[in-house]
Amino acid sequence: MEHAYLGIDVGSISTKGVIIDKDDKILSSQYIWTQGDPIGAVKELVRLLEEQFDKQRYQIVATGTTGSARKLVGTIVGATMVKNEITAHAVGTTTFYPDVRTILEIGGQDSKIILVENGVAVDYAMNTLCAAGTGAFLSSQAKRLGIEVEEIGDYALRSTHPTQIAARCTVFAESDLVHKIQLGHPREDIIAGVCNAVAANYLNNVGKGKKIVSPVVFQGGVSKNQGVVAAFERTLGCKVIVDPNGHLMGALGVAILARRGSGRQDFDFAIENMEFRTREASCGGCSNHCEIICVYRGEQLIDSWGNRCERGARVH
Amino acid sequence: MAEPKMRNISFPRYAEYNCAFKYIVEQALGARYVMPPALTKRTMELGTKYSPDSVCTPFKTVLGSMIESLEAGADTLLMTHGLCRLGYYGELLEQILRDLGYQFDFINLSDYDMDKKKEYIRIVRRINPKVNPARFLAQFMEGLRMVEYLDEIAAEYYRNCGFDATKGSYKRAYQDFLTAMYTAQGRNDVETGYREAKRALQAIPLDKPARPLRVGVVGEFYTAMDAFSNLELEQKLADMRVEIHRWMNVTNQFLHYGGQKNMRVKIKDLSAYDMGPTSTANIWYARECAERGFDGLVHIKSAACTPEIDVMPVLQNISADYKIPVLYLTYDAQTSDVGLMTRLEAFYDMIDMRKKVL
Repeated sequence: MEHAYLGIDVGSISTKGVIIDKDDKILSSQYIWTQGDPIGAVKELVRLLEEQFDKQRYQIVATGTTGSARKLVGTIVGATMVKNEITAHAVGTTTFYPDVRTILEIGGQDSKIILVENGVAVDYAMNTLCAAGTGAFLSSQAKRLGIEVEEIGDYALRSTHPTQIAARCTVFAESDLVHKIQLGHPREDIIAGVCNAVAANYLNNVGKGKKIVSPVVFQGGVSKNQGVVAAFERTLGCKVIVDPNGHLMGALGVAILARRGSGRQDFDFAIENMEFRTREASCGGCSNHCEIICVYRGEQLIDSWGNRCERGARVH
Repeated sequence: MAEPKMRNISFPRYAEYNCAFKYIVEQALGARYVMPPALTKRTMELGTKYSPDSVCTPFKTVLGSMIESLEAGADTLLMTHGLCRLGYYGELLEQILRDLGYQFDFINLSDYDMDKKKEYIRIVRRINPKVNPARFLAQFMEGLRMVEYLDEIAAEYYRNCGFDATKGSYKRAYQDFLTAMYTAQGRNDVETGYREAKRALQAIPLDKPARPLRVGVVGEFYTAMDAFSNLELEQKLADMRVEIHRWMNVTNQFLHYGGQKNMRVKIKDLSAYDMGPTSTANIWYARECAERGFDGLVHIKSAACTPEIDVMPVLQNISADYKIPVLYLTYDAQTSDVGLMTRLEAFYDMIDMRKKVL
């Protein structure tokens, strides 16, 4: 039986999964919405991945998880590699684009920039206190304008005079946008303006002080939006590469890391039928009241975390 | 005439320095010290609730800690002066606490001219008119020595704790040292506690590679030094097997800054002006780290800390000139460390992979 490797990326908005073989070829991949239920999303993801997967020929021998729910999901799937999404994206991208110098990434709630030299990340930045200009902003503006978020790109490309929208902050951008709608600006121009604002906001905040060198790879859910891609190309004055699997890059990266890692654990598709639940317990050891998350498989406690000192280890 | 009442003095929680405040208040000033409870989520809730929203986070922390001190029985609060907005904070803190209905005496160092020795005597006489000057001076100096010991041991701890061969032995030795300092009743306790800690730490076998990863920490005076406020950044990074170096502490900034007299001149090419209380030292130390071949820098500030915002463009220049990555972290009153862990893990992965290739 040939070896295969599973990578799962559970973000705030979407959940991504890939199974690769030893040459990083994709055997199975899926992209679904998280919908505020990472455990449910992962079970659904595993079920969908199984449908495309040849279980007679391959055995998954290592599993990696990344994204904001990486720890929770790692516990559930028995991951051999739990890695932050910044490293996962860098590893995934440099594997497929060894010459890349700059990785732009805009996801549902966060955005980051990774600078690469000689195939290794040398500097990165990630939005800190503010989620301005990410996928969530585009979704809510699409809803306001009565279109699907997937259609934004097409609308934006049809515009010849993008409306100027303040890019400083999502909240200000939104009021600016409402004013421009009420003044009668055409919808295409408004949407193109929003795309420009997302690109400008990203470069002014996350990309501030970073030297952006070509080749530039753009990924994350927002990279599927042609309007933002065009805005980046115009602003940066260079070509921006969008991989057809750009939205899977985190999952690919962590699958590759699981392959390179030493941990081995055969993956069992049976988890899609198991019952998992989490419970929050508050530690009364001191006035910090640490919120401890307990993860159960059926009735059995399989892991817990969140305590700041050893006193919390007793609370379940 | 009735004996004047002994004061119950408190100073808000600040890193691990409260044991030195306690020592000085009790041994030098002959008053009682009310130890504010360790900082917790409750402290932040109290502080955030009664603070102006846009004020920097240390104000909220200090306000919360002062409320907890008053609840614990303090009747006199001491507040420091400062070279940024901190200089105005005493007045505002006092007003907020009075509006909340607390009764206390407030000693605000901003009300005094801290450049004049005579002013120190005024403060001491205000706290305890019957203080013995000779005893005060001797014990005050010992209290400052405790500050030096605290900083020296902490620096040694964060440099090595990620590498102890038997996990946890370094931490235990450090905790024992802190306990000794918090319970010290006299000169002998301080000196013995320090000597024993030195011996204990040096006896712990280390499993350290020849070229370990080294990270320099710079930033705003409160958040960079207070482990609760920076969500234990130094411990988290050290636990990934990284040497942590931080110049900024009370010893270097206040007690021995004289030794760095030429700091301003040394960074003239990077920054023409002083931009606040810590900017010159931070810029100087960031470049020191870069020149010594460190693997990365972490810059810590609370949200809206103007002096440290001004430092950031200079750090970007240092980063570009010396090819050293800088992780910029902004803290607010949040207590979840999930986002911080993501950034720290990524930073560690990056400097680790980079070191292997470059």
